[in-house]
Amino acid sequence: MSIVSVEHVSKDYMLGKTVVPALRDVSLAVGKGEFLSIAGPSGSGKTTLLNLVGCVDTPSAGRVIVAGQDTARLSERALTELRLRTIGFIFQSFNLVSVLSVFQNVEFPLLLQGGQTRKERAERVLALLDAVGIAEHARHRPSELSGGQRQRVAIARALVTRPALVLADEPTANLDSETGGNIIDLMKEMNRRDGTTFIFSTHDPKVMAHASALVRIEDGRISSREDLDAARRAGGR
Amino acid sequence: MLGVDLMIAGRNLARHTRRNLFLGGALAAVTALLVLLGALTAGMESAMMQSATTLMTGHVNVGGFFKITSGSAAPLVSQYPRVLEAVRAKVPELDYATVRGRGWAKAVSEHVSMDLVLAGVDVAHEPTFRKVLHVVDGDLEALAQPGTVLLFEGQAERLKLKVNDVLTLSAPTARGVNNTADVRVAAIARNVGLLSAFSAFIQADTLRELYGLSPATTGAIHLYLRDPRDAARVAARLRTALAEAGYRVMEPEAQPYWMKLMQTVPSEDWTGQKLDVTTADDEMGQFKQFILALRVVTGLLVVILMVVVVIGILNTLAIAIRERTREIGALRAIGMQRRKVLWLFVLETALLGLLGTAAGVAVALAVAGAVNAAGIALPEAVQVFLAQERLRFLLDPGAIAADALVLAAIAVAASVFPARRAARLKPVTAMHHVG
Repeated sequence: MSIVSVEHVSKDYMLGKTVVPALRDVSLAVGKGEFLSIAGPSGSGKTTLLNLVGCVDTPSAGRVIVAGQDTARLSERALTELRLRTIGFIFQSFNLVSVLSVFQNVEFPLLLQGGQTRKERAERVLALLDAVGIAEHARHRPSELSGGQRQRVAIARALVTRPALVLADEPTANLDSETGGNIIDLMKEMNRRDGTTFIFSTHDPKVMAHASALVRIEDGRISSREDLDAARRAGGR
Repeated sequence: MLGVDLMIAGRNLARHTRRNLFLGGALAAVTALLVLLGALTAGMESAMMQSATTLMTGHVNVGGFFKITSGSAAPLVSQYPRVLEAVRAKVPELDYATVRGRGWAKAVSEHVSMDLVLAGVDVAHEPTFRKVLHVVDGDLEALAQPGTVLLFEGQAERLKLKVNDVLTLSAPTARGVNNTADVRVAAIARNVGLLSAFSAFIQADTLRELYGLSPATTGAIHLYLRDPRDAARVAARLRTALAEAGYRVMEPEAQPYWMKLMQTVPSEDWTGQKLDVTTADDEMGQFKQFILALRVVTGLLVVILMVVVVIGILNTLAIAIRERTREIGALRAIGMQRRKVLWLFVLETALLGLLGTAAGVAVALAVAGAVNAAGIALPEAVQVFLAQERLRFLLDPGAIAADALVLAAIAVAASVFPARRAARLKPVTAMHHVG
């Protein structure tokens, strides 16, 4: 069953009076629990596709269905609510709130959701910080952490609401290869542990090798989709 | 959640210390200025009204003018006991009434002379007179004796007189001749601002003798009400009642009696007695206008300064929003609603506004307290304008809180427009902002 369904989606941007197509008639279905990598060169449309799936942008044509909801039919408020409750975001440049501590950054989406007691929030946040290996830095501000540590905080923030879907736009682009590898391993572990669907973009072959499925995108079009897990299984046979 | 919101707002303010200190400082300066000017005006008004409603005017006055010829006028009420009886019958709100002679004379000492506005008083029937006057030399009770006068310190100094010294008063009577009377200084009182610049008190019968008046003639009946707020209503009722009782009553005009005496009444074509019912506000009209003018100037000054502060707020928030656009985009992406973004920016300004105005109030309180404690004496010329002998700020907690809240509210209102702009940013645009 698909958690994300992109149907004949196109997205155009206006550059002055010139129409620049970013996506052209893209269709994609992502099943629950997938660990999907979107690969392609810079400017190929990876980020645009993630933005549309993440409901932070709207398509010029076609439909985007997330968790069974046609995003075109939702109000701005309902889209925000969908993002809050269903989708977690991991950004290339982390985008943590600089004036909050690590703990508070991770706790913040829970505060936006409301409904949990302070104790419940604290337990969930501390468990996640422990899971991503950053519990000892709970009181630190993001500026006191390394890039890899910040991305771990971002992962914890993305997962704290227990979303069905996590979107990560070039999560390792600002990290060295070893740290990037660790971050992908961490994401994969969370995918395995909780069954959370991950869609992440990258143009690093080492990173995309970790994915269960790989979608290649070129010039705004999906050029291929490979089931890497199936290939691995077939290779191992 | 409010705790976290406040923390974000507070830490964001602290992150740009110099910029926010400058803006908060400007807001504090405007607040301090507004509070101090308000307290100074209130001090003047309070000092003036407190002393004036005892020394110069009642809450309501039944005065009048007597004209022998149409071109002359004297501030007199003839047969005042009958008028007083009629007044008492019509004013159940009355607490007590006093009878005051009105006149002016040239006061001549051995050394120098000066003009004085004279009030004829019967101190035995003046229940609050001694509460307002602070006698520094002599005895107020001695003013009950015929041929006595009470001077204020400034007058005594100028005339070079001490208690028991004799002063000659020279005054024109209603019939156009000059009378003189030698009076003894019974008491010298501490100055009470504007009033003590030109007013002196003389035993009531002595004033009548000076002007050649009968015992049934006085200058005005001062009525003191249990609630001074009833004054205008009582005055209107008295005008009607006195007219119905057969007295000729002047049309209401918000001017002190001495201005009418010098300007309006002599130019009117009538003779005989007319009564004039006034309120304390009428008698203090020019002073009130001065206070009003001061408040208008204060208001304009504050408006100009607030415009500067509002521009500062708009500018600061525009910079803050530009700096935090990516953060806003990320927060919107993870599920923050637009109204929450708006709230965070407004809260930040509200916090700055409250801190700034609180600092301004604290500075104003410190300055006012220090000035009041120091008891800074004002030059005589300034005393006349400020209606007080020493610089005094009257701090009214309600007015101060209102000033601070209004300024903080203006600051918050100024933040709504840029905060709305931040809230309306599309998450995708904000996240990819380069700035």
